[in-house]
Amino acid sequence: MSQADSLPRTSHNPTLATLLSLIVPGSGQAYTGKRERGLLILLTAGVLIFLLGWLNLWVLAPLALPFWLWQAWEARLYAQGRNPGTMRLVLSIALLVYAIGWQVTQIDLSRVITSAPKVVPFVTGLVQPSYFDRQIDTTSIPAAIQIPCGTTPNLSSATDTGPTMRLSAACANPGDRITISGAGFPADTEGEIWFQNAIGDRARARGTDGLLAFVADENGAFSIDALMPVVANSDPQTHRLEAQYVTRVGPLGLSETSRLVIGRMGETIAQALMATTLGAILAVFISFFAARNLMRVNPATLAVYYVTRTLLNILRAVEPLIMAIVFVVWVGLGPFAGVLALTVHSIAALGKLYSEAIESIEPGPIEAITATGANRLQVIWFGVLPQVWPPFIAFTVYRWDINVRMSTIIGFVGGGGIGFLLQQWIRLTDFRAAGAAIWAIALVVIALDFLSSEVRKRVV
Amino acid sequence: MLEVKHLSKIYDDGTHALNDISFEVKDGEFLVVIGLSGSGKSTLLRCINRLIEPTSGQVIWDGQDVTAADPSQLRRVRRQIGMIFQHFNLVKRLPVLTNVLTGRLGYVSAARSILGRWSGADRARAMANLELVGIANKAHNRADELSGGQQQRVGIARALMQDPKLLLADEPVASLDPATSHSVMKYIEQLNREMGVTVLCSLHFLSLARTYATRIIALKDGVIVFDGGPLDIDDARFREIYGEEAVEVEIR
Repeated sequence: MSQADSLPRTSHNPTLATLLSLIVPGSGQAYTGKRERGLLILLTAGVLIFLLGWLNLWVLAPLALPFWLWQAWEARLYAQGRNPGTMRLVLSIALLVYAIGWQVTQIDLSRVITSAPKVVPFVTGLVQPSYFDRQIDTTSIPAAIQIPCGTTPNLSSATDTGPTMRLSAACANPGDRITISGAGFPADTEGEIWFQNAIGDRARARGTDGLLAFVADENGAFSIDALMPVVANSDPQTHRLEAQYVTRVGPLGLSETSRLVIGRMGETIAQALMATTLGAILAVFISFFAARNLMRVNPATLAVYYVTRTLLNILRAVEPLIMAIVFVVWVGLGPFAGVLALTVHSIAALGKLYSEAIESIEPGPIEAITATGANRLQVIWFGVLPQVWPPFIAFTVYRWDINVRMSTIIGFVGGGGIGFLLQQWIRLTDFRAAGAAIWAIALVVIALDFLSSEVRKRVV
Repeated sequence: MLEVKHLSKIYDDGTHALNDISFEVKDGEFLVVIGLSGSGKSTLLRCINRLIEPTSGQVIWDGQDVTAADPSQLRRVRRQIGMIFQHFNLVKRLPVLTNVLTGRLGYVSAARSILGRWSGADRARAMANLELVGIANKAHNRADELSGGQQQRVGIARALMQDPKLLLADEPVASLDPATSHSVMKYIEQLNREMGVTVLCSLHFLSLARTYATRIIALKDGVIVFDGGPLDIDDARFREIYGEEAVEVEIR
């Protein structure tokens, strides 16, 4: 008896099973009677070979070896009437699947380190969001010059106090080099030299190395050569050279960035509010058609239930970002497109949540109200609504929270709101402004998150 | 008068809950239906006002065929038939007074009721009915703040708002303790004796049935196995209804 137990219980040849599986994966298993498993292994092998070929990842072929060898060994174990378990088969397949995944997604951890410097300006901007700055005050110090030289240039001299600018000649011909000397400027001032012609057109003055800029020394003096431009009129006329610099004056105030961020953030919150409200109103209406317990009345209403459910499922599967792209094409750039995208998504999401809330109500009160002779509307008003409004409110507030979060991104595809500014600033590499927008988004989202969880706590 | 003729109910899952049931209830009777859980008591009561659609047979109320009534006729029938439930079935979040007022829904227009424009007369009656069952002081509490016995009394007050000629009571005291059970049964008895409301009441306990019923029907597996006076149920009958191993438990 015990001898019989230790003998193989099947009449299959282990060597043959092994060989079969080595040639065609899974065929050895099929030979020992494990047809489904054999088929599964064959299909898996087929899919893996297809992936390797399609993605041209033959490099990874050696990693298929454990799978290939193990399934052959497994066929042998089956032939011997033993149970190999599934763990090692799954692991050997997983090894290859993850290797392919790693290659396909181009994971390259070294880049995270080596390219770190590239993110520095961004992080720097993030830690210095440009919420506040001083008012800008532009100062221009003029000096007159006659081009081309005429008989008696009669030029008024610069003021005595404050910064002054003197030229090496009172007149010049186009192409001449004039030395500009400045004195009395604030120490270490950086500025630009501009040329303004007789009729008031302005352009940056040029030197031998291109556009002219100056840097005053610690005494407030500088000296720089300018090339005189060609002017339209050949008669002598008086033109002007200007040394222009910018100072920041007055107390710190809200920057222009802040004004933009606040405005667009308001737009974002309003977008979310409109979308949530519109979505909630429509979803309440739709949810009654998507609640199984209310729609079980007869086959026709049940059909309406299935259609509504299916539509909601399809709508929910489409990301709001994709909807926003569609609506931007439809109604044009701007917040309205974002509102529409979020509304549609809110209907789908809230419709499902609401209908599930309706499905989980107690049937007792409905039965009791029906028994009084109430009509359908009265049954819903008195039997259903009092049971569902607390979860409805909780879901709606939560949805608003989600919609604010989503409408910050929807601007990236032209759907209005703060996302629009953020993606502009990122493209212009104005990382301090981008930082301001990002912190503002974080702040609003956290605040709403807190608010919505408080509201939910109160109503449920 | 209520006539039930050859009433059967087969559920979608194939359960035969009622099998060709026929009986009459005369005006003013206090008819108690007894039987084990699953014997068909609840189904029978709900088939009478068609909260459950019977599979076949007729229910005739005051000469009108309820089973053939169209939706608006059915609502008019329902509003004359009050109903109370084992689990009270109050709308928990609404105030007690509103719960009582919902008993008038069959009589007022949908618009008026939804806008909460109940007539002064209805409000006064609701308060009077709450007074009658002794919980007028709870009128403005939320229904789920009340104890089980109090909630059932609200249920009775709600049924009273319908001016019922018939009261269906589905296990009205099965969720209550013995003392509260008697107090609730006494209110139902009062409706029956003093207002002449016909009562059709299902009960678990034979002792309660004997105390309050003018007549008893026993159901077993969807069939009537006894129909007679409260004192006609002897030990043999009892075992026939409840099974050989049952022991009678008395509620005092």
